[in-house]
Amino acid sequence: MAEATWANYREKKHSKPLPLKGIKVLEVCTLLLGPSGPGFLARMGAEVIKCEIPPMGDTLRNMIPFGYFFREQSTSFIRPNPNKYWLGLDLHKPEAQKVFKELAAKADIIEENQRPGVMERWNVGYRQIKEINPGIIYLSKTGFGQWGQYASENRPSNDGASQAMSGYAWMSSFPGQKPLKSRLYICDSYGAVMAEVAVLAALHYRERTGKGQFIELSQGENITRVMSWVWPYQQITGKVAMPAGNRDASICPADTFRCADGTFVALAAPSPEEFKGLCLAMGRPELADDARFRDHLTRLQEENAVEILRIIAAWVRTKTPAEVEGLAEKHGFAASHLYTIKDVVADKHFRERGFMTEVDDPLVGQFLDYEFPVMMSKSPPRVRWSVRPVGFDNEYVMTHRLGKTEDEIKKLYECGALGKWANVLARRPPSTWDGKAGLIMARDKL
Amino acid sequence: MEQPTLADWMRERDDPRIAHTKPEALDDITVLDLSDKSYAGCYCSSMLAEFGAEVLRIEPPGGDFLRTCTPYGMLYKGEGLPYLTEGRNKFHITLNLKEPEGREILKGLASQADVLIETYRPGTMDDWGLGYEQLKEINPRLIFASITAYGQFGPMSASRMPNYDSIAQARSSIQYATGEVMPEGKSYDEYPWAVPTKAGPWIAWAQAGTFMAMGILAALHWRGMTGEGQALDVATAEAYVSVDDYAAVWHQGSGVINERFGSLDTAGWLYCFAPTKDGAVFLGGLRLEMWQAFADMVGKWDEWGVASWKNLSPFMEEAMQLKWAPLVFAETRKYTNEELVNMSVEYAKKGRLAPITPVVAPVCSPEEAMKDGNLSERGIFTPVKDPVFGELVVAQAQHKMTETPIRTKWVCRPAGYDNEHIYLKYMGLGPHKLQKLKQAGIV
Repeated sequence: MAEATWANYREKKHSKPLPLKGIKVLEVCTLLLGPSGPGFLARMGAEVIKCEIPPMGDTLRNMIPFGYFFREQSTSFIRPNPNKYWLGLDLHKPEAQKVFKELAAKADIIEENQRPGVMERWNVGYRQIKEINPGIIYLSKTGFGQWGQYASENRPSNDGASQAMSGYAWMSSFPGQKPLKSRLYICDSYGAVMAEVAVLAALHYRERTGKGQFIELSQGENITRVMSWVWPYQQITGKVAMPAGNRDASICPADTFRCADGTFVALAAPSPEEFKGLCLAMGRPELADDARFRDHLTRLQEENAVEILRIIAAWVRTKTPAEVEGLAEKHGFAASHLYTIKDVVADKHFRERGFMTEVDDPLVGQFLDYEFPVMMSKSPPRVRWSVRPVGFDNEYVMTHRLGKTEDEIKKLYECGALGKWANVLARRPPSTWDGKAGLIMARDKL
Repeated sequence: MEQPTLADWMRERDDPRIAHTKPEALDDITVLDLSDKSYAGCYCSSMLAEFGAEVLRIEPPGGDFLRTCTPYGMLYKGEGLPYLTEGRNKFHITLNLKEPEGREILKGLASQADVLIETYRPGTMDDWGLGYEQLKEINPRLIFASITAYGQFGPMSASRMPNYDSIAQARSSIQYATGEVMPEGKSYDEYPWAVPTKAGPWIAWAQAGTFMAMGILAALHWRGMTGEGQALDVATAEAYVSVDDYAAVWHQGSGVINERFGSLDTAGWLYCFAPTKDGAVFLGGLRLEMWQAFADMVGKWDEWGVASWKNLSPFMEEAMQLKWAPLVFAETRKYTNEELVNMSVEYAKKGRLAPITPVVAPVCSPEEAMKDGNLSERGIFTPVKDPVFGELVVAQAQHKMTETPIRTKWVCRPAGYDNEHIYLKYMGLGPHKLQKLKQAGIV
């Protein structure tokens, strides 16, 4: 049955409608917490105009792993920013603020992650925009929120600050060791996902009532949510929640084990059938009936958990990851060797699902990007094009969206309201650019 | 000065303390949540329930196995803690889908629902006659949302392996690339913690559930335009790795495999945890001026030649990071966390580059986080007064909204707690009929 629903999904997805077609979004965002959210909406077909302050634009254009630029683009900039239109708009200038308001009057959603008060200083805060567009859904994402002690101190924040202050890093380390920073910008990335749930819920409400609203989300607050049991545990026991390394404190057995070849495999088998399957696979069926391990809640108790994990560790030490995975498949428990990024990119399953999706971009060229991770049978989200230099689509946006004449556009450039990229790597077009590729309107040519 | 200030104006409208006086965004939506052994599914339906959707959480008689997934086997009033945190606002009913009569009841509920969330192994719902193709005949507007380990199609889809957070973390490459670096010449036996390290929280499950909530809402919007429901498919490892920012592109361009880099940052400078007199702080300065401000703040403007720095990119190179990190740490070790935080606040006022200042944040335990005045003031740890579980702290109020804020009305319910109310409301099943169904093992 599922075959009927999903047949040829990857091959056909570009010939189906997009779920957010027609939704207009303006972003004044930088780094990851900000741009990722509109990036999700853009993957689902919303028309997103990304406003950057010319000529340098988004600070994320600086972030490159060990100094590596991907085809002269910021390597980190690609994932959060597909399918967008690129406007170089200097919101410090009154003329630019006027342009922004003209765009805002026709927009459904505005997203920004400047520090509290900055948008209002630029005359494009929620209180100002709602006067011209009361249906607007306006999302502000910050480190600490729009009000409260830290907002009043105007504290800056980064993802890493939220990982640190929430205790997320503490919970993600080995007991007795230093708290460890995730290699993901997880508070940014997760916050961006969570915020779009609110944006789309607000869109639903607007469709019912015509009413827009203001939404705020804070980096540090969103991540408290995924920490789950930590809070009631501390409230109930009066003790600090402790990290457990690679063990899952709430699921047993679930841990990462070392194999015969020195590499690692993650394994989980908590439910009665799964645990039985694991015991069979280990050639120790009697363990499934052992009073210490039979019942999940008993097995989770520290002494018992340590013992069963010790038994499994000794067994895995004699196996290769492939053997463990094979036995997991056969006996119905879960196991996976630790994927490297090479494994992810090469993975046949990810490719065939179109999750690792082929992008054929006029500027950046051909490469594989992550597809939006919700596959939708009738309205598939997808990546169509990639990142652009600062201000790359100025002419298109001014002409197409605002109906401005060439003279008017020229004046906007003269007063500095509009601008394009600095002659700096990851701001300017790649050196292979022919001066035309990717431009939407012929007269945009320089 | 504006009257009133932006902060006051916002707070007056979006303080979680007044959330209950406002309307709910999704109170016209009915959701069936059939999650089985899946925090991802429960998390997804929580997101919708917080916005006011009527979520019917459907468990097998006896309750979902997930209720037993709790740290060290600890129960609170008979329930596991993680389940307690994401049972919020849901009506909990039981239904035995292994029995034909149970499946008929499910069809009756599905014909009245907008959304169905399920997490069974692909094919299970089909075998029960409850797959998307079957239910859409009853309700073409239904949004049928599946969250699994590997998704509904593709070569691994038929795998017998269940879906757990830790496996998705392993499958995403994020675990491989997170962790302390093994010191040169040392071995696993000496440093068993210097290994690929997973995140403690169920982050892969949370990502899968939250992405699905976003997908469901987009599908609702699309249904509003077309009248049509559809099937949605999330694979947990995909949801988690999809927010990875550079590793896949880096690998394609250069062949490099992203490796562990401790609490430094492969793609960012200044961006690390740094040791202090009494712990550690996070330091952030992703713009050249912020990195310069840090150097100035610790008194190294001249010695380090800060004025001559023109470009941040070189600092991100591995050799540069390994050269500069010890110099930075030598400075941070001279101060306590509190001193460094205050220095950065002061620098924003009076420093040479003010108001630019580096980000300095203490690395906290969750106990310290729970005492953080800002989080408390903003309603995150306000206890919920629950009729069954009493006053309980579950992190809440993450979205502040002026018109339709989220709210936690109750924390959780025991399995089947709402059978009478829900079966009467949706299926017209009164106490006598319900009793018979109970005796037959159907509910």
